[in-house]
Amino acid sequence: MSAVEIRDVQKSYGGHPVLHGVSVDIPDGEFVALVGPSGCGKSTLLRMIAGLEDITAGEIAIGGKVMNDFAPKDRDIAMVFQNYALYPHMNVADNMGFALKQRGFSREVIKERVADAARILGLESLLARKPRQLSGGQRQRVAMGRAIVRHPNVFLFDEPLSNLDAKLRVQMRSELKELHQRLGTTTVYVTHDQIEAMTLADRVVVMNAGRVEQIGAPLDLYDRPGSLFVAAFIGSPPMNFLAGTVNEQGQLQVEDGLSLAIPGGGLQPGQRLTVGVRPEHLELAETGWPATVSVVEPTGSETQIMTRLGNQVIRVLIRGRTDLKPGAVVHLGADPAHIHRFDTMTGRRL
Amino acid sequence: MTLDATPASTHRFRRNLARQLRIWSGVVIALVFLFPIFWMVLTSFKMPKDIFTTPPTFFFQPTIDTYVEYIWRADIPRRLLNTVIVSFGSALISIVAGGMAGYALARLRIRGAGFLGTLLLLSRGVPPIALAVPMFLVARKFGLTDKHITLILAYCTFLIPYVMWLMRGFFLALPKELEESAMIDGCSRFGAFIKIIVPIAMPGILSTLIFSVILAWEELLFALVLTNRNASTVPVAMAGIAGDTVNGANWGALTAVGTLMVVPVVIFALLVQKWLVQGLADGATKG
Repeated sequence: MSAVEIRDVQKSYGGHPVLHGVSVDIPDGEFVALVGPSGCGKSTLLRMIAGLEDITAGEIAIGGKVMNDFAPKDRDIAMVFQNYALYPHMNVADNMGFALKQRGFSREVIKERVADAARILGLESLLARKPRQLSGGQRQRVAMGRAIVRHPNVFLFDEPLSNLDAKLRVQMRSELKELHQRLGTTTVYVTHDQIEAMTLADRVVVMNAGRVEQIGAPLDLYDRPGSLFVAAFIGSPPMNFLAGTVNEQGQLQVEDGLSLAIPGGGLQPGQRLTVGVRPEHLELAETGWPATVSVVEPTGSETQIMTRLGNQVIRVLIRGRTDLKPGAVVHLGADPAHIHRFDTMTGRRL
Repeated sequence: MTLDATPASTHRFRRNLARQLRIWSGVVIALVFLFPIFWMVLTSFKMPKDIFTTPPTFFFQPTIDTYVEYIWRADIPRRLLNTVIVSFGSALISIVAGGMAGYALARLRIRGAGFLGTLLLLSRGVPPIALAVPMFLVARKFGLTDKHITLILAYCTFLIPYVMWLMRGFFLALPKELEESAMIDGCSRFGAFIKIIVPIAMPGILSTLIFSVILAWEELLFALVLTNRNASTVPVAMAGIAGDTVNGANWGALTAVGTLMVVPVVIFALLVQKWLVQGLADGATKG
């Protein structure tokens, strides 16, 4: 059993709180991504799971055992750092076998496990090289190899793909996912890249300012964001928002005088409301919200159209191509099922 | 059509000129620094009549008479051995103590660590003469005057803060994820320090060791106050020769003993030079 339970964990630095009671249950074998903007506390939480940061309050249990007072080496975890942290004075094989050597494994076992990991990661020909003789992608693989030879209870990844170029990042992302499917080890993965989180994780924990905003499967977060923050953070291109006040007719009165019909009831006149629609859920229609095209960005398979609706910039993503030119007036229609409503004051979903 | 004046050839000419200027500047600076040592070694092989000729002469009948006479008269072999013992002893103790203190200052979250470090550094601002006399009194009280250990401990008082600050800089330059990774891999904090950080910081440690040995090697004041005969060092012998002015300054003896004093340090520096290669940490992290 290697479930990870995080119960009401708090962290303060010199009285300044950075984590305000975070609780997450990660079942055995699950791949969980902690995602959020810089400074939201996701790396701190990961380092607390690793034992590299003290826990101010709360509990972290691994495999049912509370680990608060255990040293990192006694938690049976393996961690891949953003900057890889390879030992520069050791070759690849020694880097990968170091943890096993520390734990008293025989030379034969170390050799066998290093060879296995090297085969999985395609590092067989690089075992005698020093880290400085490797490319960024190869170093990243060695860092992963160092983690997997251990057969640990939990893998911890701290933004492991951030230093790679875009192409290599996509490739390594697939390799990571395949590796997890193959090994089935519980994994906690920190990233600020929501695409990485969405594509890799079974569940995503969205964090903001030291708090958990929402936990859920990637598509649940995408389809039903629980707050304005999650709605804005998840999705690329980002969700469009229109903020205003509900008028007597039940329409959204936007600040520049525009009023828009909002599907669904339960709204009170005078209520502050923010409406969100994802760019791909908007369509160019015969009738609907009138908008002026400002920029057209074709990418081949789809086209992103930036429009102005009053003073608001609204993005529309359509499949295929368009002949629209900047300055053209279009009408935007939205499927009522895909219109998200948020209380502007609390930021919560309505 | 000529290509001589193209921007590319002008750029190449300027780059070559800058390179030549850098090389010759280095040669001139090296000569300025090395000339006094060259002159010292040259003078040590001169007879007294050749030392003060006008103009100074580079060509003369060399002699080792001064060496033969002063090696025994100034008790150089024993003093050289004493100098080796106290300088390497104090440098090694300082590297261990100062290195660990530097690591603690660089890495551990210790309340008031910055203040403590600054205080230790400020202790170097105290004039050594102000410490020498109290040290002598303490050493006499414990019957430790004229002993190697006394001089070693005295040297540690100025070497440890020096080593601590230098090593702190080296450790700060290393990514902390290296020892964090080692701690996850099965090391204690101390184990990570010994097995990962020390080997990586070895060029820094060795260069600090060389500087520490040199500082202790050339130290005069404490050696003069705290030793008499048994633990006396070469700088004390040189001071004795310099102070013996009955027949005028004995430049031949001074340069001969000075050369004997310099040679072991140069040999030591050349021996450890190959370990001073930089860039060992390349590839530890992103790049």
